[in-house]
Amino acid sequence: MATNLKVPVYGNLAEEQAGKWGMTIDMDVCTGCQACVAACAMENNISFVGEVDSGYGRSMHWIRIERFWEGTYPEVKMTSFQPMLCQQCGQAPCEPVCPAFATVHSVAESINLQVYNRCVGTRYCANNCPYQVRSFNWRDYVRPEPLPNQLNPDVTVRRRGVMEKCSFCIQRIHKAEDLAKSESREVRDGEFTTACAQACPADAIVFGRIDNPDSLVSQLASLDRGVKHLEELGTLPIVTYLKGG
Amino acid sequence: MASKEQTNPHEKHLSHEQQLREKHLMLDPLPRGQMNDMVMESMYTTSWKFWAVFAVLSAIVAYGLFYSWGKMIAEGLGIAGVNRPVYWGIFLVNTVFWIGISHAGTFISAILRVFKAEFRRPFTRAAELMTTFGLVQAGFSIFMHLGRVWLAYWLMPYPNQRGLWPNMHSPLSWDLLAITTYLLSSTMYLFLPLIPDLAMARDRTQDGWRKTFYKVLALGFRGTEGEWTHLRNAMNIFAFAIIPVMFSVHTIVSWDFAAATRPGWNSTIFGPYFVVGALHSGMGAVAIVLVVVRGTMKNMKYFIRAEHFDGLGKLMLIVSMAWAYFFFNDYMVQWYGGDKWTKQLLHFHESGPMGWMWFAMLICNIVVPWLILWNSKWRSTPWLIFVVGLIINVGMWFERYIIIPISLTINRMPFTWRMYHPGVEIPLGIGTLAFFILLYMAASRLIPLVPVWEVQEGQMAHSLKKFGRETVVTVSELE
Amino acid sequence: MTYGKTLLAVFSDLDPAADAIEHLRSLGVHDDCMNVISGIPVTEAMLGRPSQWTNVPRLAGGGAVAGFIIGIFLALIAPDMYQIQVGVQAYVPGPPSVVVIFEMTMLGMLLSTFLGVFLDSYFPSYRPMKYVTEVSDGKIAILIECPGVDEKIITDAMMKLGAESVRPAEAQHL
Repeated sequence: MATNLKVPVYGNLAEEQAGKWGMTIDMDVCTGCQACVAACAMENNISFVGEVDSGYGRSMHWIRIERFWEGTYPEVKMTSFQPMLCQQCGQAPCEPVCPAFATVHSVAESINLQVYNRCVGTRYCANNCPYQVRSFNWRDYVRPEPLPNQLNPDVTVRRRGVMEKCSFCIQRIHKAEDLAKSESREVRDGEFTTACAQACPADAIVFGRIDNPDSLVSQLASLDRGVKHLEELGTLPIVTYLKGG
Repeated sequence: MASKEQTNPHEKHLSHEQQLREKHLMLDPLPRGQMNDMVMESMYTTSWKFWAVFAVLSAIVAYGLFYSWGKMIAEGLGIAGVNRPVYWGIFLVNTVFWIGISHAGTFISAILRVFKAEFRRPFTRAAELMTTFGLVQAGFSIFMHLGRVWLAYWLMPYPNQRGLWPNMHSPLSWDLLAITTYLLSSTMYLFLPLIPDLAMARDRTQDGWRKTFYKVLALGFRGTEGEWTHLRNAMNIFAFAIIPVMFSVHTIVSWDFAAATRPGWNSTIFGPYFVVGALHSGMGAVAIVLVVVRGTMKNMKYFIRAEHFDGLGKLMLIVSMAWAYFFFNDYMVQWYGGDKWTKQLLHFHESGPMGWMWFAMLICNIVVPWLILWNSKWRSTPWLIFVVGLIINVGMWFERYIIIPISLTINRMPFTWRMYHPGVEIPLGIGTLAFFILLYMAASRLIPLVPVWEVQEGQMAHSLKKFGRETVVTVSELE
Repeated sequence: MTYGKTLLAVFSDLDPAADAIEHLRSLGVHDDCMNVISGIPVTEAMLGRPSQWTNVPRLAGGGAVAGFIIGIFLALIAPDMYQIQVGVQAYVPGPPSVVVIFEMTMLGMLLSTFLGVFLDSYFPSYRPMKYVTEVSDGKIAILIECPGVDEKIITDAMMKLGAESVRPAEAQHL
């Protein structure tokens, strides 16, 4: 079997080999600085939508910082900032409804995959996502020179008509796994991380192997403060939010 | 039956029998040859007004449908009004609307045939044409809403080297199968009873492109026993089999919404609710089409009479009540249930910025039909039933608008709530409407609109019989 | 004495036509040699004719089976051969399979019914055929193909029973 060859394999053979990835987001320390948003956009070649389209609800950011407040000025009380990204649901409602099989589940890696070159653009997945974290390429957005130099070669540039969403930086996952397998070892906890976690100055986002009980993300996820959003829907999200205060 | 109140003083001298004959097409037979003449004449007669309307509609179709769609394919869906969270907008509203209109055709040609409702005879083909052309517009609307429509063939089942078949878990795949089945079936069901009338047209045309057209399409039909047996058999099978197909199609369309997780969408009653809604708007559309056909085409006043609008109006009233029943079922249970997101949604429906549409929907779909259609005389008045049909269709379009873009605004992530403002959907939607009318106008001058053989068959079966002192209409079962 | 010439007798009403057929049978013309061409579907029973055999229901059933099999393939076999995990639904989902199999069965049945009409009636057929255009004006024409009886006897009998015209049937382009 290929397992003995210690080379990376994907597809059905990878079911027993890949690790399961998870994330925690500490809402208590999140400052709402949006460094994660910027880092994600840089890492994943996200288009610049512009003010008008963004204001109309067409921002393409895979992670967004939601802020809520109570009361009216000057007695305004802020709630915690809430970074919202794809929850990589175990029972993703977006998956069964795509007629073209463009969003499928990786059981091994425990994340939800978006296959750009299969997407026909029916947008049923986006309607069905309870977290509304999917972004659609409404146009071919312009990248004025010299911005194309900044594009990440590991990530596809999507054209109009295709759906996209947070992939847990799967390009970084695979790169790290490739390196680890070539060195005949497991991926070390903290060896790599997602762009958003890397950029966060408050270390609010922690990413790692959720199937390893010793990893930092597993320890944080099992804290009492941990909640999962819209848990009652039964989507089995893999992102744990640590409540503030 | 003609009653004392309904006869005007001029008619008092007519006997009861004569009144019946004037009222009922089935009791007022003309020689077949004469009826054939009338139908052929109405097909050949076009006035300058016809061509003027045809030209205007063609221009609207060219700009609204073809140019605007081409622009949208080139630039992306950004020029439409969809956004997060309203990923589906007027394109889906129009799709559901057109599929709804198409159901009326099948209802009249299949369900009324199965139930032996004789008043369907002169207008089954006019209604069935609406089905085929309505489905064409629905097809346009659904293809328009795709992000990468040039790859739409990936949704069809065919073997390929990636080993990918369409995802049968998805209601959109069921939609594809169901709508394809329905489009093919209703076109075939339109064509089968048309064959004898095409043979008639072929026999009465001597030369020219029309002769070739009818000759080719009539397939060499003569009317032998064998041909009639096969045809009648096939029409019976179609009439019975297309009814479950019709029900399944709009149910499957409703499952596009009911199978989703959105508040307000995940309702188990959507299946029958949508089917009844389809019939509601469809019946209204049939009324509109029949009034226009009767008013603009020669000799149609013989075939389409007040009694047909009366029967249609009764159906519209019953369907309106059924729609109100299903609407209230859906609404009451959601209102009572207590889920906070659904409550927010219902509140947004009624008192949000588009609250006027919700009230307009109820007035158009329930109040207007119930106020007008109970009265037999009003039902039988063409212009009035035209207006009611139009109002019902406006109300049902509002209903789909409320279910799709307005309901999508409210979800479980309040940070994303945003209104929907249509963009290029408007010219595209108007383009589909213009195309529907255009196709219908073309068909009305290309094929005989009234199935004369069915009318004659019905007239053969109807007679007047005296029961005691009263003369009544009797219908024999010829098959 | 002319035997074996095909005749076409045109009637404008149902009763005279039915009488004529009975009379023809009494003259010795076999049922198989007669055919009724009419503009409305007068049933065989009305004219005293034997029922026509039709394959359309059989073909409809066969088409339904074919559609059923295709539905089974699309819903059950293909997802099992090419397994893709979506949501937490099984590779071969239950209720969606019902929907797919139902639709494909109906499609198969209706397509084959339609094609069955073509097959059974030998449509499309653009060869010259024995026909008169009065038929589509609601007349009932009796086509007598192999009389075996003198042509004049038949002609007289038909005219006496009320035929509008009796003439030799010529195959003509429709």
